[in-house]
Amino acid sequence: MRIRWSRWAPQLALTPAVAITMVAFLGSMVWTIYISLTRSRRFPDYEIDWSEWGRQYARLFNDDAWLIALKNLLILGVGSTLAIGFGFILACLIDREKRGEGFFRTVFLYPLAVSLIVTGVAWRWLFDPNLGLQAFFHSIGLTWLRFDWLASGDTAIYGIILASVWQGSGFYMALMLAGLKGINTEIWSAARLDGVSTWKFYTEIVIPMMRFTFLTCAILLSLGVVKAYDIVVAMTNGGPGQSTWVPAYFTISAYWQKSNLGYASAAAVIMLLITAAVFLPMVLLTLWQQRRSGRVAA
Amino acid sequence: MPSVSFEHIVKSYGAITVLNDLNLSIDDGDFLVLLGPSGCGKTTLLNLLAGLLEVTDGRITIGDRDVTDLDPKDRGLAMVFQSYALYPTKTVRGNLKFGLSASKLPPEEVEQRIAWAAKLLQIEPLMNRKPAELSGGQRQRVAIGRALVKKVGVFLFDEPLSNLDAKLRTEMRLEIKKLHDELNPTIVYVTHDQIEAMTMATRIAVMDGGVIQQFGTPDEIYERPANIFVAGFIGSPAMNMLDARLKVDGARILAEVEGAVGGIDLSDYPFMNRPNDGAQIVLGLRPEHFGPLGVILPDAAGTIALPVQYGERTGSDATVYFRTGGKLLAARLDPSQLHAARQGETMSVSFLKGRANVFDARTGRRL
Amino acid sequence: MSQISVTGQTAIERATTEARPVYFPRRKKGIRPRSIAILVFLTMCAAFFCVPLYVIVVTSLKTMDQIRLGEIFSLPEVWTVQPWLTAWNDACSGINCNGLKVGFVNSLAILFPSLILSLAISSVTGYALALWNVRWAGPFMFLLFMCAFVPFQIIMIPLIVLSGMLKIYGTVWGIAIVHAVLSMPLLTLIFRNYYKDIPNEIMRAAMMDSGSFWRTFFEIILPMSGNILIVVLIMQITSIWNDFLVGLTFGGLGTQPMTVILANVVITTTGEVVYNENMAAALLTAIPPLVIYFFLGKFFVQGITAGAIKG
Repeated sequence: MRIRWSRWAPQLALTPAVAITMVAFLGSMVWTIYISLTRSRRFPDYEIDWSEWGRQYARLFNDDAWLIALKNLLILGVGSTLAIGFGFILACLIDREKRGEGFFRTVFLYPLAVSLIVTGVAWRWLFDPNLGLQAFFHSIGLTWLRFDWLASGDTAIYGIILASVWQGSGFYMALMLAGLKGINTEIWSAARLDGVSTWKFYTEIVIPMMRFTFLTCAILLSLGVVKAYDIVVAMTNGGPGQSTWVPAYFTISAYWQKSNLGYASAAAVIMLLITAAVFLPMVLLTLWQQRRSGRVAA
Repeated sequence: MPSVSFEHIVKSYGAITVLNDLNLSIDDGDFLVLLGPSGCGKTTLLNLLAGLLEVTDGRITIGDRDVTDLDPKDRGLAMVFQSYALYPTKTVRGNLKFGLSASKLPPEEVEQRIAWAAKLLQIEPLMNRKPAELSGGQRQRVAIGRALVKKVGVFLFDEPLSNLDAKLRTEMRLEIKKLHDELNPTIVYVTHDQIEAMTMATRIAVMDGGVIQQFGTPDEIYERPANIFVAGFIGSPAMNMLDARLKVDGARILAEVEGAVGGIDLSDYPFMNRPNDGAQIVLGLRPEHFGPLGVILPDAAGTIALPVQYGERTGSDATVYFRTGGKLLAARLDPSQLHAARQGETMSVSFLKGRANVFDARTGRRL
Repeated sequence: MSQISVTGQTAIERATTEARPVYFPRRKKGIRPRSIAILVFLTMCAAFFCVPLYVIVVTSLKTMDQIRLGEIFSLPEVWTVQPWLTAWNDACSGINCNGLKVGFVNSLAILFPSLILSLAISSVTGYALALWNVRWAGPFMFLLFMCAFVPFQIIMIPLIVLSGMLKIYGTVWGIAIVHAVLSMPLLTLIFRNYYKDIPNEIMRAAMMDSGSFWRTFFEIILPMSGNILIVVLIMQITSIWNDFLVGLTFGGLGTQPMTVILANVVITTTGEVVYNENMAAALLTAIPPLVIYFFLGKFFVQGITAGAIKG
């Protein structure tokens, strides 16, 4: 399928994609990395002082806001894993109890069709101390229940986590459902015949068999958390103070508010490194899985 | 109708060479079948001819044109595929029309050809249907029609009947043969089914391991196989291969083989070179060349007396299997004789004169 | 072959006309308690998922007086669509008080060109990579795979500079093109995986019949792409409509998409927060993708699995 003109036509057709990849992606990344080594402020300054090439990074890691952002990233990441767990439970229940699968799936997945800004707005409203859920809980007698998490710097990030879990559980549920359906029905039958208890069945058979799905979810979650921006803007706009800053927010702020190209670029490079650190296992995972599907899949 | 020739064809994938210095010449109007087991290289050869694969080395000519470097659409070929490869979103008419998209024919000519092919293959009532609405046989006809409209001189078939059930296969075999008789194109047909090869071909090229084992008419292939592989591949049940030793005594040549009392007389066998006494050979005896069970024929080449292992009946035929030295020897007989074959009992059966095949034990080649 | 009884009836006819004699009466099994427990739990979770939506809807239809009373779950006493009208027409985003309708129009204007561009490039690129022999396809696809995960921030500034040089910065076209560029890697891989599943023989037949890259694409492959096109279309519509960051970064005054307008309306308020208008604004922004979701949810799910399980 590749003789003469047939050899050229596809390559010609690929030029736009190649151009975009080279310029918009690779070229941009290289440019940003380069700028992060310079003293660019409002405009690019292409001169690198090699004796101090890491000054932007040094500044970065001395900046409280950045350290808060990194800390928040970690908290957000760990807290958001609830979405995976919750998604798994939902998937197992739906898979188990065939009734109403269509209905429940529709309900659990609709948050994905909603913009994160809308989600943020809605949850912000729910978190309103005087008019939101707190008022509701107090009105039915649960006066000890506090639901004003967004008001305090210590708890605001947890509000964001809750909203993220709400938004994302459906997605992980969908992936888990697909993974569960991949488990041979004969295994269910065999377990039934063997009389394996439900708890044991799930912990010792199902979860190990879904290793790959869990890993995929973890990686996708991590990548999503690094990109978190919209929800922070909508719910707290970084506040109170700087307590809910995340790296993405920091970077955007460094560019627009501080007008510091070099600084923003350095922050972006760190974001890239974090992404790469998460991405590498994904690559290895894909390669491992390809090799695995050559053998008999469990 | 043009002739096709392959000269010194080499096809390699990296370090693996699939075809090495293959030469083949097909006369115009021939119905050549490339026959062999899977992996023998027959499909590779077909794809090289089609232009879907590029040769590593060598030359392919169609007629007097060197097509080695030409695109598939420029070679003057048409191809029919194993799973028909009909375009699912197009109607039958659309499929036939697309077959002509490389040629720059005026629309009236295109319509004319479509009508002609449809009539020839009796698919006129199906013209507006999509492939999903057609039966297997109908799809195959449309696939052939798509090839016909090109009005080329060379047709390539890539195991076209494998996906059909037995009854349909027989029907389509006749259709393809009829097409060849009527239009007389040069056909190159790939299959692993020897029945298709024997019934349709004017010439067969038996392939194994990337090498053409024998090239000849169906009769030649069947009656005088060039080596053990070809002998064993053609014929069902397969030819019996017995290890034997030649005893040459002047003009009298005998094959000493287990179970044959007095050996098998090969004095009238057309040896290519005078055989040596004591030569190790493989004696090939076709199951249908044995006489009736228990009857010792006077003018037979020899008689086998071996214990019966079992017998089976396949409708119109019956085969009895004898045990000899760890192998089974098959002999065809009339179904009415089957009851006479008792398991474990040693029975005799004669082998007809002039029907044996002798192969060198070491090289496998015909002697 | 039906078994005909002496009376000429088939076994099936007999079963439906005669009353079957009961030999071993069986107790009817009701619904098991475990099922009930699961369903109850699932329903509670469903409620958890529906709460925010319910609250937004209800709040958007209440009067401010009622909202100030703080009963977040109560239904409106006086149903009013005024918040919706105000949000649509007069909501203030920064200094402009032209309502969300501006954003709606912009979002549409961004959506269509972006869809066409991204689908066009990705489908053709995926087709070329999947069905044609390009020697550097492997490394290129690996590159695409990596680009699909790259955070926006690392390429943001150069893209801003580039779009400025091309004079599309701040325009609706600029935003559309950036969306197309950002989504190209992932969509290309999705198309490529889909096209890889097309039977080999169809391409071989097309090579024998036509041999043309473009003709084969438009007449054979594209008509076969219905399924994946819908899935990708829905993915893109949702992703572009709901996007915030790109619209914020590349949008100028008067060209900002609905999500950006919404964010401005809700976040930058002076004076009292007009909750019902904010909620109405949020709903207005959320409705188009939600409608698509409820009607074409099936393709949505396919999009999720296609987007997630790639490579």
